[in-house]
Amino acid sequence: MNEKVIQIDQLVKRYGENVAVDHFHLEVYDGEILGLLGPNGSGKTTTINCLLSLLQYDKGDIRIFGKEMRPEAYDIKNQIGVVMQNVAVVDTLNVYENVDFFCGLYVGDKKLRKQYVEEALEFTGLTDYKKYKPKKLSGGLLRRLNIACGIAHKPKLIIFDEPTVAVDPQSRNAILEGIKKMNRDGATVIYTSHYMEEVEELCSRIVIMDHGKNVANGTATELKATLMNRETIRIGLPEKTESVLQGLSEINHVYKVKIDGDDVVIKCDGGDHNLVHVLSYLTDQNVPFGRVSTELPTLNDVFLEITGKELRD
Amino acid sequence: MFGRIFYYKIKELMRSYWLIGWNFLFPLVLATAFYLGFGRMMTDDPEFFHTIPVGYIVSEDVTEENAAFLDVLAELTKEREDDVAVLKTTEYDDREAAIAAMNANRISGIYIIGADIETIVAKNSISASTLNQIVRTYENHATTLINIAKDHPESLQKAMDLLSEENTYIKEHTFQRETSAYMQYFYALLAMTALFSSWISTVILEGICANKSESGKRFEVSGAGKLSSIGAGLLAGLLLQCLSNTVVICYIEYVLKLSFGMPIWCVMLVTTLGSGVGISVGCLMGSLIKNPALLVVVPLAFSMVCSFFSGLMWGNIKQILEYHCPIVNRINPAALVTDCLYIRSTYGATPMYYQNLVILAAITVGAMLLSSLILRRRNYVSL
Repeated sequence: MNEKVIQIDQLVKRYGENVAVDHFHLEVYDGEILGLLGPNGSGKTTTINCLLSLLQYDKGDIRIFGKEMRPEAYDIKNQIGVVMQNVAVVDTLNVYENVDFFCGLYVGDKKLRKQYVEEALEFTGLTDYKKYKPKKLSGGLLRRLNIACGIAHKPKLIIFDEPTVAVDPQSRNAILEGIKKMNRDGATVIYTSHYMEEVEELCSRIVIMDHGKNVANGTATELKATLMNRETIRIGLPEKTESVLQGLSEINHVYKVKIDGDDVVIKCDGGDHNLVHVLSYLTDQNVPFGRVSTELPTLNDVFLEITGKELRD
Repeated sequence: MFGRIFYYKIKELMRSYWLIGWNFLFPLVLATAFYLGFGRMMTDDPEFFHTIPVGYIVSEDVTEENAAFLDVLAELTKEREDDVAVLKTTEYDDREAAIAAMNANRISGIYIIGADIETIVAKNSISASTLNQIVRTYENHATTLINIAKDHPESLQKAMDLLSEENTYIKEHTFQRETSAYMQYFYALLAMTALFSSWISTVILEGICANKSESGKRFEVSGAGKLSSIGAGLLAGLLLQCLSNTVVICYIEYVLKLSFGMPIWCVMLVTTLGSGVGISVGCLMGSLIKNPALLVVVPLAFSMVCSFFSGLMWGNIKQILEYHCPIVNRINPAALVTDCLYIRSTYGATPMYYQNLVILAAITVGAMLLSSLILRRRNYVSL
C-alpha cells in the first residue's frame, strides 16, 4: 500500500450546539484520487477547511505528509494546492498576473516561476487569454483560471472543491482530463463534487460523508456492491397475469416484481445473467413481451441509498 | 515574497477605480471647489499679505516733521523676518505721473508729503487700508512726540525710545507669511485625503484574510507568512496614499497657487503621518470587521467624521469642540493633522507642533500593534 498523504483521526468541529464534523476519520494515500461526496451541509467543506488549518477544530488529529498540520506549517502548505469552490482570483490583475501572483506565494525563483506559470496556462488552455482580465472571461474560462491559480506551483497534494460547478461539458471534460494528467504526473487528489458520474469516472476511491461522519468508503464497485438492488430489468408485457408475475418473482435472485404502466419492473439482488433467466422463463411460458431494458446501479443510487432522499438545505 | 506581494498590491490598487476616484480625483475636485468658493476671499484676506507698491511725491512746502516720514517709508521698504517688505516705494516728480502710474495699476496708492501728508488710493482695499494706517500711525507718533517735547522735554528721549521699541508700523501688519485663514479648509482636505488610506487597508486585508474573501482563503492556505504579507500590502497602500497626498499638495501649491506657508516637505511629513494613522486604524477596523459591506462603509465614515470635526465643512467646529470637549481635538487624527499644518505655517515648529506629530505617530503604532495581535490568530472559529 502507498504512503499515507493525509490522516485525519476523530475530527470534531462544532458551531455552537451544531456538530458539523463528528469524529470523522479519513486516510488518503499517495497517488490516489479520492472522491469526497456528501449532501449539502454534510461537512465536506468544513472538513477541508480544518484540513487546511483555516478553521479551528474542537478535537482530533490531522497529519499531512506525516506531519501535524498547523496554521504555521508553511513547509506542508507549500506542497498543497487548493482549487476553491468559488472562484478566488484578483479582478484587477489579468490572467497571467493572477497565476504569477498566486504561484509567487510558493515559488520564489523568477525563472522557475515563469516556467510554471506558462505551463499552468497551457495546461488549462488559457495561453491565448493571458492579457484578459477575469471579468472578460466566460464562466468556463474563469473556472480554468481558478484551477491554474491553484495548481501552478506543482503541488504534491491538490484539493478540488467542486471545480466544475456551472461549467459547460467541454470545459468540464477538459478539467477532468487535466486532473487525471496531474494525477498521472504524481499528484494526490481530493475531489469533491455533486456530479456522481464525474466522481465515478475520476476517483479511485470514494468516501461519502453525511452529518459530519464518514458513512461509506470504497471504490465505486465496492460501494455499488453494498446495494441490495444490483440489477433492474424492465420488460413491456401486454399480459400481466397473476401467474406470470408470480413466476417471475420465483426466479433466482429476483426479490421484487412490480407493474409500472405497460411495463413490468423486476429487481434482482445479485447473480449473473438475470435477463437471460427472465427471458427464458417468458419464452417457456409462451408469454409475449415487447421492449426489454436492463439497468445496473449507479453511484447516484448508492448515494441516495446511504444519505436518504429527503431534501437538504 | 515580501517584494512580490508589495509589487502586485501596488498594481492591484493602481488599477482600482475606487482608489483613483476617491483617493486621487475626489480631493482634487474638492480642492478646486474650495478654491472657487474661497478664492477671492483668500486673495483679499487680510492675512494674505503682499508687498504694497506705493508712489510718493515730496512737495516743496514739506515741513521738517513730515520730512521724517521719508525715513519711515525707507524703513518699511526693508524686508522683514519673513522676507517680505511692507512697501515698495517709487518717487514721482509730479502728481499727474503718479496718478497715471496708479491708474495703470503699477502702484496701489500715492503719498504726497508736504505741509500735510495726503494719501491717495485707487480703490477701497486691504492695501488702501494699510497705506492709510501707516500715515495715521506716523501722525499719532509725531503728535505724541511734539506734545511731549512741549510739555516734558526731559522725557522726549525716553518717549522716542519707547515708540521705537513698539515698532508699530510693523506690528500693526504682522502678516504670517502668505498664508490665509481659509487655508484651514485645505488643511482639513489634506487630512481627509490622508485618512482615506483607512479604506485601502481594509481592501488589502480583504484580499489576504481567509475570513473575508475567497482569494483571502487562497492566500492563507499558501506558504506565505500572514503578517509579512499584510505588511507588504499595507506598505503598498501607504506608498500610494503618499503619492495621492503629493498630487493634492502640488495641485494646491502649484496649480491653485495657494501657499501652505511652509516648505512642501513639511506638509508631506504631516500628511504621511496622517496616512500612517489611516492605514493603521483601517487595519484595525479590517481585523475586527467581517461584513464586506462594512469594510467599505466604516473607514469611509471614519474619514468623513474625523474630517468634519477637523473643520472640513464648518470651520468653527474645532473651536466649539476645543471649548466643550477638547479631548476630541487631541485624539482626532484629522484635527491633529490640520493643527500640525496650521501651527507649522503660523508659528513655526513649536513644541505643540511636535506634540501633535508624536500623538499621530503614537496612534499609528498603537493601532498597528493591536491589529497585529488580532491578525496573528492564524485560524478561525468560523469562515
